[in-house]
Amino acid sequence: MTASVHLEGINHWFGSFQALNNISLEIKAGEYVTLLGPSGCGKTTLLSVLGGFIQPTNGQVRIGNNDMTFVPPSQRPTTTMFQDYALFPHMNLRDNVSFGLRMAGMGKAERHKKADEKLDLVGLVADGSKRPHELSGGQRQRVALARALAVKPDVLLLDEPLGALDLKLRRAMQDELKVIQRQVGTTFVHVTHDQEEAMAIADRIIVMNSGQIEDAGPPSQVYNQPATLFTADFMGEMNHIPAQIKKGKASTNLGTFPAQDMPDGAATLCIRPETIHADGRGLSLGTAQVKNVTFFGAHIRVILASNEKPDVTLLAHLPPGDMPKEGSKIPLSVDANALRFYPECC
Amino acid sequence: MIGQSKKMGWGFTAPALLWTLAFFVAPFIVMGAMSFAILEGRNLIWGFHLDNYIELATRPYLWRAVIASIEITLTVTLISVVLAYPLAATIAFRVPRHLQRLVLLLAILPFWTSYVVRSYAWLLVLAREGVLNQTLINLGLIAEPITLANTRFATVTGFVHFFVMLLTLTIYANLIQLSPNYRRAAMDLGANAFQTFRHVILPLTLPGIVTGAFLTFVLCIGDYVTPHVLGGNNELTMPQVIMVQLGRRADFPLASALAIVMMGMVTLAYLAAARWLRLDRV
Amino acid sequence: MRTYLPWIYLALAFGFIYLPVCVLVLFSFQDGGLPVPPFDGPSLKWYREVLSDRDVTDALIHSLFVAVGSSAVAVILGFLAAYGLARHTLPGSAFIRLLLVAPLTVSYLIVGLGLLIVLSRAGFGLSLGTAGIGHVVINLPLAFAIIYASMGAQHENAERAARDLGASEMRVVVLVTAPMLAPAIAAAFFLSVTLSWDEFIIAFLLTRFDITLPVEIWSMLRSGLSPRLNAIGSVVFLISVAAVLILEFTTLRRRRS
Repeated sequence: MTASVHLEGINHWFGSFQALNNISLEIKAGEYVTLLGPSGCGKTTLLSVLGGFIQPTNGQVRIGNNDMTFVPPSQRPTTTMFQDYALFPHMNLRDNVSFGLRMAGMGKAERHKKADEKLDLVGLVADGSKRPHELSGGQRQRVALARALAVKPDVLLLDEPLGALDLKLRRAMQDELKVIQRQVGTTFVHVTHDQEEAMAIADRIIVMNSGQIEDAGPPSQVYNQPATLFTADFMGEMNHIPAQIKKGKASTNLGTFPAQDMPDGAATLCIRPETIHADGRGLSLGTAQVKNVTFFGAHIRVILASNEKPDVTLLAHLPPGDMPKEGSKIPLSVDANALRFYPECC
Repeated sequence: MIGQSKKMGWGFTAPALLWTLAFFVAPFIVMGAMSFAILEGRNLIWGFHLDNYIELATRPYLWRAVIASIEITLTVTLISVVLAYPLAATIAFRVPRHLQRLVLLLAILPFWTSYVVRSYAWLLVLAREGVLNQTLINLGLIAEPITLANTRFATVTGFVHFFVMLLTLTIYANLIQLSPNYRRAAMDLGANAFQTFRHVILPLTLPGIVTGAFLTFVLCIGDYVTPHVLGGNNELTMPQVIMVQLGRRADFPLASALAIVMMGMVTLAYLAAARWLRLDRV
Repeated sequence: MRTYLPWIYLALAFGFIYLPVCVLVLFSFQDGGLPVPPFDGPSLKWYREVLSDRDVTDALIHSLFVAVGSSAVAVILGFLAAYGLARHTLPGSAFIRLLLVAPLTVSYLIVGLGLLIVLSRAGFGLSLGTAGIGHVVINLPLAFAIIYASMGAQHENAERAARDLGASEMRVVVLVTAPMLAPAIAAAFFLSVTLSWDEFIIAFLLTRFDITLPVEIWSMLRSGLSPRLNAIGSVVFLISVAAVLILEFTTLRRRRS
């Protein structure tokens, strides 16, 4: 089962601290959305509002087309997967997964059958009689998923579900979560602080900071065309170059660059390290001297200082190949469409 | 390990160990042996005599005390657990976090009076001329004062008063370390408050309840003050009977036998509770 | 209504808990001769009487003596044993720990009875000292358990560093271990004093002429209901409350600084 989610004008205060500031959001039914941001940005608070554990100070929560703002969690068509999984330690896996069905009044045989179906979906049907403490972290996480899906919610809320897993397991689980979500079609809202995870898994990423939404869109859009400076820095490494824009042209210490449709005044020019080339393609950034070279496998990370203006430092991700020597001078250039300007006024 | 030297290790541990052996273990063994001795007039005769135990089983004065002790202790334990659990739950789940410590402190405060004095205070409350009777008469609920003091009711009340506090503390400690996500998950999956309690909270706190109940049993069955102050002379408990043997005749053998039997009952209670006491935190 | 149920229960429970103490304190100011209703106006005469009673003040001092003395012994023995077991591998250490903690599982009456039998058979007289011995027996397990539980890895590392810098083991214990464990030692001491101060049955069995306060109150009880008992009970209550408050404020101040 699935449903759309509408948030309108959600504000929430904890005492005098404002955790959520005028959040409005539309999530389509069946979408996989991540709430991405640093600690304290309000993403978990927003998830709790969606789940019904917090009533927002003002604003409206609609699921499907029903106003759910004040509906308690037990009656809301959402289930939450908690960060510590919260599997009931005194019940075996089958009883854990069928708990929600039991609360709904389903008979033993039927709910055990449905629980086994869900355990099968996550690959643990053979372990139905085991207790949670007998399982590994990754397995417990899957049981928590099965338990949440067993009650056929319209919206599944995941609170940093992969945080406790090691890198390899995390990558595997990201793929698995995506596959399962496609299979069941439920709307998934997934909270994370890891931008790589968000990009790997989401149909749409909602970037949050200090209780507000900074940017929203598919991963490629949020990464390549970040709407705000915060988003630009959060999604990956960025070069910052101060610029002065006048009549569609930006003057910087590295030269003048086109900046159409940008207002006059001071701005920051942001360039992704991987869009800087050493082979001369695109707009010239002048020559730079190599300060530090690190081999990263899929790319070579190079820190350089501009020859013309030695106090301007650039970070470039060059394609794997010959590693440039420290001290050597390289001509740098950048694609015209890789320039992002963030005016200071806004 | 800082010091692998066994001698130094013994050097540090020996004093405590010797004290325990000399003043706890040895007297215990002597008492055990004493229970098999008999008193003839003023002479103590050692040996292996079962006289004391037989007397315990056959003399009504004695075995009635055993029965009374068991009945009172079980009643007190049951009532105290039933009353303490909701109190602990209210403090753990309803009282705001930052006030919980204060509330607990206030709950313990009255027990900073002397134990002897507290039992005496209950005597004052329950006496025929006491506060409770006077209030009931003034409210028109009864015409004549009812005898509440010097009865089993008074003993039980005095005990419950103390053990509700003790159990509230132990059950609270248990409830508070339960992850709040268990309750949230249960509610999220559709359970109402009662269902959450029955299927999740209660099973997870059962070990703590059993530990508290066992502690209550042990302290209650061995208590002399409360039954003696509040219970009157019509019914005696084991501790009272033991004290009588010490007082009048200085009958150490019989007193020892009674004490051994009391220890036996505690051991039985431990075995009954052992299943939960041994369960490690999941 | 349902949402108020827990609060009503809380109120009733607190009413029950405070009932005897309120009655006690109220009727300690009784003007008449009996500590029962009606309440005839506040009067301090019973406090004056009780605090000028030599037996009572003596018993109070005796109680303090026994409490502080036995607690000091219990804490020192407990600390040494905790250190010995935590920092040295001894054969059968699990059994030794069990033995040291065992007295907790035995009723005080039995502890007192055992000691009484042994002492009287051996011809020893009863005194505050013998009561003190009994109190050490019941407090040693607690002191040991509390201190042993607080000895952590970080303490071990500090001790290692001290040894590394040339200190002998005795100096490590006195200059490093004990100060680091000060909170646990203080807690154990305070708990022991509290338990010993109010302890009745062991003190009753093992004292003869010089008695502790609970035993003195007991003998006063034998003479029937009187506001004297209310007064002494309230005094004991006040002392205990004051001690706890002082402790709360001193530890709170230390925590804030």
